[in-house]
Amino acid sequence: MSTGASIATPGGTGWQPRVAAMGPVLLVIGWELAARLLTDAHVLAAPSAILLYLYENAGLMSRALGVTLTNAAVGFVLGNTAAIALAALVAIWPASERTVRGFALLIFCLPLVATGPILRVIFGPGPWPQIVLAALAVYYTTFVPLLVGLRALPSNWLDLVSSYGRGRLAALVHVRARAAIPYLVAGLQISAPAAFLGAMVGEFTGAERGMGVLTIRAMRGMNVEMTWALALVATAVSVGWYVAIGAVAKRFLEDEPPVILAAPNSETSGGGWRRTVVQLVFVSLMVLIAWWGFLKVLGLNPFFAKGPLDVIQAVTTASDAATNRDTLLTALAETSVYLVPGYIAGLTVGAMLAMLVVMVPMIAGTALPVAIALRSVPIITTAPLIVLLLGRGAAGTIVLVAVMVFFPTFVACLHGLKQAPGRITDVFDVFAAGPLQKLVRIRIPAMLPALFAAAKINVPASVLAVTVVEWLATGNGLGSVMALSASLSDYDMLWSAVALVAILSVLGYGAVGLLERRVLGIYAPEQLK
Amino acid sequence: MSVPVTCTAASKTYPGGLTAVSPVNISLAPGATTALVGPSGCGKSTLLRMIAGLEEPSTGTITIDGLPPSEISRRGDLSIAFQDPSLLPWRSVRKNIELALDLARRPKVTQDIDELIQLVGLDGFADTKPAELSGGMRQRAAIARALATKPALLLLDEPFGAVDELTRQQLAEDLPAIWEAGDTTTLLVTHSVSEAVMLSDRILVLSPRPATIAADIKIDLPRPRRSEFARLPEFSAHVDEVFAFLSQGVPGSRAKAAQ
Repeated sequence: MSTGASIATPGGTGWQPRVAAMGPVLLVIGWELAARLLTDAHVLAAPSAILLYLYENAGLMSRALGVTLTNAAVGFVLGNTAAIALAALVAIWPASERTVRGFALLIFCLPLVATGPILRVIFGPGPWPQIVLAALAVYYTTFVPLLVGLRALPSNWLDLVSSYGRGRLAALVHVRARAAIPYLVAGLQISAPAAFLGAMVGEFTGAERGMGVLTIRAMRGMNVEMTWALALVATAVSVGWYVAIGAVAKRFLEDEPPVILAAPNSETSGGGWRRTVVQLVFVSLMVLIAWWGFLKVLGLNPFFAKGPLDVIQAVTTASDAATNRDTLLTALAETSVYLVPGYIAGLTVGAMLAMLVVMVPMIAGTALPVAIALRSVPIITTAPLIVLLLGRGAAGTIVLVAVMVFFPTFVACLHGLKQAPGRITDVFDVFAAGPLQKLVRIRIPAMLPALFAAAKINVPASVLAVTVVEWLATGNGLGSVMALSASLSDYDMLWSAVALVAILSVLGYGAVGLLERRVLGIYAPEQLK
Repeated sequence: MSVPVTCTAASKTYPGGLTAVSPVNISLAPGATTALVGPSGCGKSTLLRMIAGLEEPSTGTITIDGLPPSEISRRGDLSIAFQDPSLLPWRSVRKNIELALDLARRPKVTQDIDELIQLVGLDGFADTKPAELSGGMRQRAAIARALATKPALLLLDEPFGAVDELTRQQLAEDLPAIWEAGDTTTLLVTHSVSEAVMLSDRILVLSPRPATIAADIKIDLPRPRRSEFARLPEFSAHVDEVFAFLSQGVPGSRAKAAQ
């Protein structure tokens, strides 16, 4: 192996592990000192103060954690079951793939901040809105790796099944299901923090108990210790859950869970523009019918359950249509001002830092596992902290979006940069090419697919981040419009905002996808099959 | 029970216009072993896959015992072994063999499976996972899996192609006797001429793509074949004959890269 990773063997030289262990200790000491120096600023809580708070409020915190964790766990099970069922459906009936994927993406793009209040009026006060939000937050991150995993097998295995005259169901049962398990584990790992995040966002939108409720209370009361303690507990639980799944999987699987970055290119893809447009129209129609049917089947009160026609009327023919349009467009403009710079900054910093790390082989070996673990931090739950640190202005929001985008991008790019096949780097070594040459000529092209994969999945993620901050803190933009219309029972506006955000997210995802095809067509055509 | 195979004007053209196989007429006698030899990429594997029912011929028909291949597959009477042993890594040798019986909806008789494992020379490795086996042993397991259902038609796509020369000779000496003992029509794709002469009753030499039949050679060496046959003059004569047909229409300068 000629990749840099092999050089940095842990424990290789003796002093390295000691330095590695010193890092967190120094960090905590620095944190403590900084907090003590900045007591008057009311932004930073010292580790000692956080621990003290946790000790004094152990009962309150553990009850809240218990509630949130239960909701998250139920949502986790439901969402992942749905993901497995959808992936199995695609495996058995490939013709359904485009439609299933279109639906799955669209539902993933629904802004949790607005679906929360809608679910609240549907389900009433109980835990179900939180559970459904947790399920909505996880199913896509499991569905996508499963789609990859159900296909990541040699074609001979499928030929073997066919040669005994058996069909797709037998292939799924005997071959694909087991082959996909490492990919399922990868999906479950990522969905663990997402479930916690979904449950907390659900609690933001009007629950009675749980970590989300306490977070709101801490923010309103400007309680710095409490805010930090909550963010810390949420992070610890998410990382713990992530690590636990990995540990359980490691006991039963020989192969490491793969790093999955994005949805695979469809097996039924291709067929040119016309077919794509027809399919797009078909999926859109199906979505509208499903939306309308969903409301009808549940028999929901038309006062708060608005169908597609209501939304279209609200922004076209209704008496207040002009005001509605104006409100939405103003909010959209406000949101974009935060969203776009944050998104671009997150992508850029993630990619640049990954390249930098790869140039320094000493760090590269340890950076990837650390970065993967950091990806499990539920960034949204740290939103109150960033608002504390950077204020309620543009800076806080942009930084939060950037941080949200940064982690997945960094992990994906680091992984992509390491994908450069060893033999090609050997060829470059033979010509005594320097690290910069290798970076530019091998590694960056190898990284591009990963970068685009991250860019796609980060479209809905960054929308989630920006709307949550607007909702919780800044009080403008689409997040605020959604929160406001929820509390004013302006359901026309709420559903319109949901539709607008979902459509724009899907379009953003599609636009990045188109850009991806153009760029990869030049630099990595083999990735497009 | 062995079955005859008939290809009538069967051809394969892929979408995009690449013709892999020109219309061919082939008739395989029940119980015989036939080898398909030809230059790399000539379409011999495509022909085999069409007979296996894994690909549909673009024109013409293929019948096995008078029925379409899919019908024979559904009866579980057809087996295929690939160049890559294609064992499922999470299943032991025994479980991989049982997979074939499950897929063919046949009963799993432990004693039969043990016997088969012994026959292919994997005694003591029944509960070993493929990753812990050598390349040659994996190929033995793959052959055992293909034979487990006692197929009427056995299709072998370069079954010994992925191992080193010594192992290859050893496999070619040990394994064919097992399927020859049964009543099986066998079709073997190979690019080793001596292996084709050693194993088969008949050799079909294919031309470069699109494949047509360049020669149909009968091999009348006695059975069972033994490795020392390779030194017989009639063996060398057959090898030379096949090479002569192979080199026709293959200009030396256009030697294609190995697959």
